[in-house]
Amino acid sequence: MTDRAASHVDRVSELFGGMKRKRRVIESPEGVALSVGIATRGERLYAFLIDIALMTVIIFCLYALVIPLFFSRADIQIGMTLILFLVFIVRNLYFTHFELAWQGRTPGKRICGLRVINRYGGELSPSAVIARNLTREVEFFLPLSLFASLGDAGTAAGLAALGWVLAIAALPLFNRDNLRAGDLIGGTMVIWMPRRALSGDLSLPAPDAAREAVYSFTREQLSVYGAFELQVLEELLRSPPNRDSDRVLSGVCAKIRIKIGWADEVPPGEVRRFLSDFYASERDDLERGQLFGRHRPDKTGTTPSRETAE
Amino acid sequence: MIVLRSAEFRRAREHAWSRLDEMVSLVERKGIGALSADEAQEIALLYRSAASSLSVARNIALDRNLILYLENLTLRAYLVVYGPRRGVMQSLAAFFTGGFPRAVRKLAKHLVIVSAAMLIGIAAGYALVRADLENFSSLVPGLLAGGRGAGSTREELLSDELFAAWPGFVDAFVVFANSLFRHNAIVGIFCFGLGFALGVPTLLLVVYNGAVLGAFIALHAAKGLALDFVAWLAIHGVTEILAIFLCAAAGLSVAETVIFPGDLSRLSSLASRGREAAGVAAGAVAMFFIAGFIEGGFRQLVASTPGRGAFALATAALWALYFTRAGAGDD
Repeated sequence: MTDRAASHVDRVSELFGGMKRKRRVIESPEGVALSVGIATRGERLYAFLIDIALMTVIIFCLYALVIPLFFSRADIQIGMTLILFLVFIVRNLYFTHFELAWQGRTPGKRICGLRVINRYGGELSPSAVIARNLTREVEFFLPLSLFASLGDAGTAAGLAALGWVLAIAALPLFNRDNLRAGDLIGGTMVIWMPRRALSGDLSLPAPDAAREAVYSFTREQLSVYGAFELQVLEELLRSPPNRDSDRVLSGVCAKIRIKIGWADEVPPGEVRRFLSDFYASERDDLERGQLFGRHRPDKTGTTPSRETAE
Repeated sequence: MIVLRSAEFRRAREHAWSRLDEMVSLVERKGIGALSADEAQEIALLYRSAASSLSVARNIALDRNLILYLENLTLRAYLVVYGPRRGVMQSLAAFFTGGFPRAVRKLAKHLVIVSAAMLIGIAAGYALVRADLENFSSLVPGLLAGGRGAGSTREELLSDELFAAWPGFVDAFVVFANSLFRHNAIVGIFCFGLGFALGVPTLLLVVYNGAVLGAFIALHAAKGLALDFVAWLAIHGVTEILAIFLCAAAGLSVAETVIFPGDLSRLSSLASRGREAAGVAAGAVAMFFIAGFIEGGFRQLVASTPGRGAFALATAALWALYFTRAGAGDD
């Protein structure tokens, strides 16, 4: 049931988004299956770069604060040490603090719409957050310092160590869920989760135009299409009215008329109304059928060949 | 005029969804603390009803926007309800009074292996340098040797190293203690992190550090200063070496789950043990901080071998008490 519902939704997303995002199903403790979209490597890199930039800004502010306090020559060493200590603290607490305080989001992740979640569907525990962020030191800062020290110790052992560490850093490239070593150790994963808004129900008439359905359709006419086409039509009807969307809708309207054998001409001003009424009737018919166990996934009447169930 | 069953269903519940949406948005903006106790209960109830709305909607509705919205809302609410409940400070407090010592107690087996590796290293380093003092310079990197080597006289070791003058409060506690802490903490974190590389680099790192230590002991033993050196080292070394042991044992525990996952899949075995192991490594970093403090500040202040020995024994006793007793009630 769930897979079937998710499959139309995914097919329509693919049609409109052009990209197939990898999805995973996690199960909440109540047993509700929730489908989550996995963050792409690019999104994660982008979020990480934002965080690094922000950390750099914080560290610069620390410099600006601390250096004037220890301006004289004798004190500058103390100032520098203090800064180095604070940098260490910032570097190690930045990610942990934000992921705990903001439900798995750092500022960079928040901007990119990403979140850290427990891969097994339970609570995101503080220890998981600490674990995934301690490992960051080895994944990112260690290769960085190895690169920096390669000049004076370009030995075979140094190169081998660098190769190994780079392989760990490149781990997200080699697994399906784009997990890095920290995610493996913490049992977490990063998902893409934009906020969605609830739009009006298209089966109801618009509040400003109180009117009855003008166009009515027969069972035969409604049995041509399935759930997939219905949701494509929904997406088109929800697009804001402008010249482009009107042209697309007229094309769709013409196609539907041929397909269902609607003889009368639909005047250009009536296209939206015709399609809205068709949408409402079609949805009524399909939902009624679904209640009685008759599912019609698309116009071919067969289930989609692509495997969606995990 | 058609009124769909799914539209009726939506109209009856839309109010509760938007209330939940508001509360979730509030938490996303201001954190879980923004909710009162009553609201925290309400959000859990609203989350459950949204989850059941989602199940129903998937079965009766073909409104794509509605299903996507409910999936999104349920997921967001789920992440709030099952999200982290404690901030950094509370988590840290709970960790040091219970989680850390408990996790360490589970690593007894790994600690034995790490100690053995360290002892092998010490023995090897000691034997090599006792056989020929010139081996010291090839075993210990120049930076760590700090000018000490086969040519050092007994007097130099005594006045420049073991009983060097106290550099003053600021240099001792701020500058020196800090640089030691940062250096050691990074070594410790690597020790743990490299456990992910199946533990071999971790063990090698421990053996090598043991060898360096053995070399130093041999150098001082050759000048008849073995006991003075051990006391000089142990005053902070008890804390520091214990912390390195913990990091390495945590690294080995991670390696073990990867090599021997038992009944679980490799990934879930790693996830279940990795968190605890990372916690141990994080606790060890705090120990490095204490060690840096002792080494930078107190070591030259307590300028006698018996005094240093007593201090070292006291810290050892405290750590032993902490790791065997703390949080024991919740085991």
